[in-house]
Amino acid sequence: MNFFRGVMGGQAAGPQPSGAETIQKLCDRVASSTLLEDRRDAVRALKSLSKKYRMEVGTQAMEHLINILQTDRSDSEILGYALDTLYNLICNDEEEEQDESEDAVTPIPASGKHKNVSMPDEAMQKQSDDLGAQFTEQFIQDPEHITLILSLLEEFDFHVRWPGVKLLTALLKNQGVQVQGIILVSPMGVSRLMDLLADSREVIRNDGLLLLQQLTKSNAAIQKIVAFESAFERLLDIITEEGSSDGGIVVEDCLLLLLNLLKNNSSNQNFFKEGSYIQRMKPWFEVGDDNSGWSAQKVTNLHLMLQLVRVMVSPVNSPGASASCQKSMYQCGLLQQLCTILMATGVPADILTETINTVSEVIRGSQVNQDYFASVNAPSNPPRPAIVVLLMSMVNERQPFVLRCAVLYCFQCFLYKNQKGQGEIVATLLPSTIDANSISAGQLLCGGLFSADSLSNWCASVALAHALQDNLTQKEQLLRVQLATSLGKPPVSLLQQCTNILSQGDKIARRGSKVQTRVGLLMLLCTWINNCPIAVTHFLHNQENVPFLTAQISENLGEDERLVQGLCALLLGICIFYNDNSLENYTKDKLKQLIEKRIGKENFVEKLGFITKHELYSRAAQKPQPVFLSPEQMLFDHEFTKLVKELEGVITKAVHKSSEDEKKEEDVKKTLEQHDNIVMQYKDLIREQDTQIQELKEQVATMTSQSEQMQTTVTQQLSQIQQHKDQYNIIKLKLGKDSQSQANSQADSQVNGLQTEELSQLREDLEKLRQQHTLLQAQLSDKDALINTLRSETAEGSAASDNTEMLKELDALRSQVHSQATEIDQMKTERQELLRKAEAASSEAVSSSDGSLDAAKMAEVESRLAAQTSETERLKEESKSLSKSRVDLDQQLAAATSTAAILQTEKAQLQTEVQESKKEQDDLLMLLADQDQKIHSLKQKLKALGEPVDDEDDLDARDQTDDDEEDDDEDED
Amino acid sequence: MAYAYLFKYIIIGDTGVGKSCLLLQFTDKRFQPVHDLTIGVEFGARMITIDGKQIKLQIWDTAGQESFRSITRSYYRGAAGALLVYDITRRDTFNHLTTWLEDARQHSNSNMVIMLIGNKSDLESRREVKKEEGEAFAREHGLIFMETSAKTASNVEEAFINTAKEIYEKIQEGVFDINNEVRHTSLCFSFLLKPLHSSSVPVFPLFLLSVVFQQCVWFATLPLS
Repeated sequence: MNFFRGVMGGQAAGPQPSGAETIQKLCDRVASSTLLEDRRDAVRALKSLSKKYRMEVGTQAMEHLINILQTDRSDSEILGYALDTLYNLICNDEEEEQDESEDAVTPIPASGKHKNVSMPDEAMQKQSDDLGAQFTEQFIQDPEHITLILSLLEEFDFHVRWPGVKLLTALLKNQGVQVQGIILVSPMGVSRLMDLLADSREVIRNDGLLLLQQLTKSNAAIQKIVAFESAFERLLDIITEEGSSDGGIVVEDCLLLLLNLLKNNSSNQNFFKEGSYIQRMKPWFEVGDDNSGWSAQKVTNLHLMLQLVRVMVSPVNSPGASASCQKSMYQCGLLQQLCTILMATGVPADILTETINTVSEVIRGSQVNQDYFASVNAPSNPPRPAIVVLLMSMVNERQPFVLRCAVLYCFQCFLYKNQKGQGEIVATLLPSTIDANSISAGQLLCGGLFSADSLSNWCASVALAHALQDNLTQKEQLLRVQLATSLGKPPVSLLQQCTNILSQGDKIARRGSKVQTRVGLLMLLCTWINNCPIAVTHFLHNQENVPFLTAQISENLGEDERLVQGLCALLLGICIFYNDNSLENYTKDKLKQLIEKRIGKENFVEKLGFITKHELYSRAAQKPQPVFLSPEQMLFDHEFTKLVKELEGVITKAVHKSSEDEKKEEDVKKTLEQHDNIVMQYKDLIREQDTQIQELKEQVATMTSQSEQMQTTVTQQLSQIQQHKDQYNIIKLKLGKDSQSQANSQADSQVNGLQTEELSQLREDLEKLRQQHTLLQAQLSDKDALINTLRSETAEGSAASDNTEMLKELDALRSQVHSQATEIDQMKTERQELLRKAEAASSEAVSSSDGSLDAAKMAEVESRLAAQTSETERLKEESKSLSKSRVDLDQQLAAATSTAAILQTEKAQLQTEVQESKKEQDDLLMLLADQDQKIHSLKQKLKALGEPVDDEDDLDARDQTDDDEEDDDEDED
Repeated sequence: MAYAYLFKYIIIGDTGVGKSCLLLQFTDKRFQPVHDLTIGVEFGARMITIDGKQIKLQIWDTAGQESFRSITRSYYRGAAGALLVYDITRRDTFNHLTTWLEDARQHSNSNMVIMLIGNKSDLESRREVKKEEGEAFAREHGLIFMETSAKTASNVEEAFINTAKEIYEKIQEGVFDINNEVRHTSLCFSFLLKPLHSSSVPVFPLFLLSVVFQQCVWFATLPLS
């Protein structure tokens, strides 16, 4: 502090140390002092000197100040001083420096500079500009310094953030492009600056707005990031908070920033539209009827708001983007709101003008909006269409020039790509639809065309030309219009009246320039007869027109008239180019000869070239809106410049061509046409072939899909075949085994395992049967033997017949068993057959599987397989029938066994019978013996009685008695 | 048009993988075979419906070229969803995914939903990156995955809508803290904004939404070092 006082004191009296020395000392202190307070005081001193000794402080202290920013980040006070000092060094704006301590007021950046600057001041200003630029360059040499400032902006402390914002703004003002570049690549640089808009302290928010204005100037990448960080949302919120158009300069700053973000930035425009922000613009224009307050700020705000609308629908935007904005402007009622301002009273002229321009661009080329505009009525009594009211202003010479231009623009935009509107305008001139009682657009245009005011002439001409633009129907319709010039004279056509004014222009005393009137009329005529041979014929029909044109072109006139000459040449050129040769005097050839004789080809082309060489031509060609610095410069119309561009070349060619050339050309044309025809034929052919190819392609597609399906089925079948093959292999293996076993055991062979089983079962059965059979046979033989013994025993018995019966039955049984045996033999042979067949089948399968690789062979294999499977089937069936017959045999066997059983029972019965018969025989023997004894006793008695007795009988009796004796012995036993 | 939510998306990935074409297909339903290189960033928007709610998608399509990387980084913050795109016919675009992912994770908030997209699925014959590889990468890094074709429009709609569904679910789960009074905080993530009034369309229930990620609130209260 002492040092500081010393400096100040030194200044007041005594030997004054130079500023540079003091600053040097302060710099040393900043650099070397270890005490924070010391450094802080030194920086504060530097700050106070930085305005007076800007140069010295800048050159000596810049480095040290930056060091402070880097090292003393914990002390916001010193940071604040350092930033303030840097700001003083870099900022060129004197006024801003003076205002710096006041918080709320933010000076207008653009207007501030040039207020009341006298000549010497201006020199000083220039010097300070240089200083600012120089220091800025020095500061940004290291991009890190900008990053440093950006990081300081994160500091919430007001004393750091505010000077930081101002410093960055000043840097951007001086070296915009470089600083933008550095901020853009520093991470989150732009995003951090966007956060300033959210600062609760208004001063910082407002200065943040100014910073962002500088930041977004002509840098699309930054504009997009700012928009991404919800700039639209926040700015629109601020505008609403601040009272929209009634708000102060903050609203203006917001609007300027919005303009920066949207101008020439289609991506942001799209974002703005998609974010439904257009809808939020509508309330801005609800200015209504309170005409009380049109403050300068409100006018400025509203002006910027209108510009914002225009940016969204500018003709230079891509047609699609503009169209969608136009649509949403109609849908949300913005257009309607603008039209209300248009028809309101008490609106300042420049706002009204800008509103007209805005409405123009909102309706341009959009059918819906144009239709709406045509339906708008002015709140007058009786109500008149807005178009009529506007045209009245256009042809009213007391209206401001810019307003008249705006109306013309509006009318042009209304008719742009609007055939319906063009028809309606022309219709107001046609005899059938003329309404004498009310003023129509057509009447106003004609009035303008023939008024004594050259500006009205020009505007009306151009307006009428726009009603004919690219519209053949209206060009022909307008030819019907007749005018009553004065009483007693025959009516004159509108076309003729126009040429009359051209040729006799001098007769009427006009205000303004004669050239303007003539240029306007010539543009109308050129547009009218262009591409319309009937109009050309009408024009040439008047004998005075061609001589007038040739005279105008050939004359050697002054600078002023050159444009008129050029336009006359253009008109004559159109007469040649669009000539249908229907007038004998003015065929193409004759007109060309005329040019050659009276003007000279080269001269004609040179005159034609005067149009595009005119200084105002290129200016008009730039954009559709008619903007002229002064009324005298109002010469070219935008659409007309397009027409000239289109026609200049073709007319030059047409004039240069001789009649022979033309003939040749016609020949060429014919051949070309022929060629065209051929080409057309070929094209048709190609088209036909194309469709054919298409069909074929489709067919191929279906075929391929079909073939794919086939392929899949084939693969399926292949796998099936494989399965079959596997089965065959298995069968083959089994067959091999079977045949081996057959060789060993003579057993039957089968086709498959089941059959083998069956066969083995059968074999077992057979074995059993055989065993049974042998058993039965054994039994039978036993029985035979028994029966034989019995028979021998009972040879003389009464039951002998029974035994023979039994024998017979046994014989039958035997024969049955025989037949069964033969059947079994048959079965054996059948089985052998089966075996053979199976062997044959397997051999077939083997042979076929060997050569089965390609599809055809596969098919063969398949068929063979099928045959084999059927054979297998058949074999199975056979085996089935075999098993059936086996069952039959079984049954027969069962039957046989049962009969055998019956036989056994019979045999048992027989045995019992034999037993019985034996008993009977015994009984009989007993009886016989008794009777013998009786007889013997009787004989004895007879002998005793003296009766003779037979010897024979005795013999017999003796025999008998032998037997009886035996029997007796037995009995005795 | 009224809407209940507003989601900001970014599309990132190597140059020429079809980011702009994906966007064009989604917003305009058309394919442009010849497309200029994107300069910086381009904007597109569309309305979708999820769970019966109208959701506005604002999509920023970024330039893939390295020279624009510093610019495009500015768009990570504040984006609720990112579509990370590679080209299935170019292995190198797949190999660069890690770099892209690191970049995205570093500059965005951790709740950003990232959808990995393998584009040009119509060019099966020239495929260099298997679908399984994409799936594996997505699984490994916790991303959603899809293969799309901007040319045939296959899966394009789904890619954008599924991302939105994921974000929507996160909101329902309360991962995103919805708060009215966060506008002034310097780290406010306002990718969800309040729906706008519109004169012609009845307005949805007004959510005065502005969303802050929880950890970012925490962020803001810490002194910056």
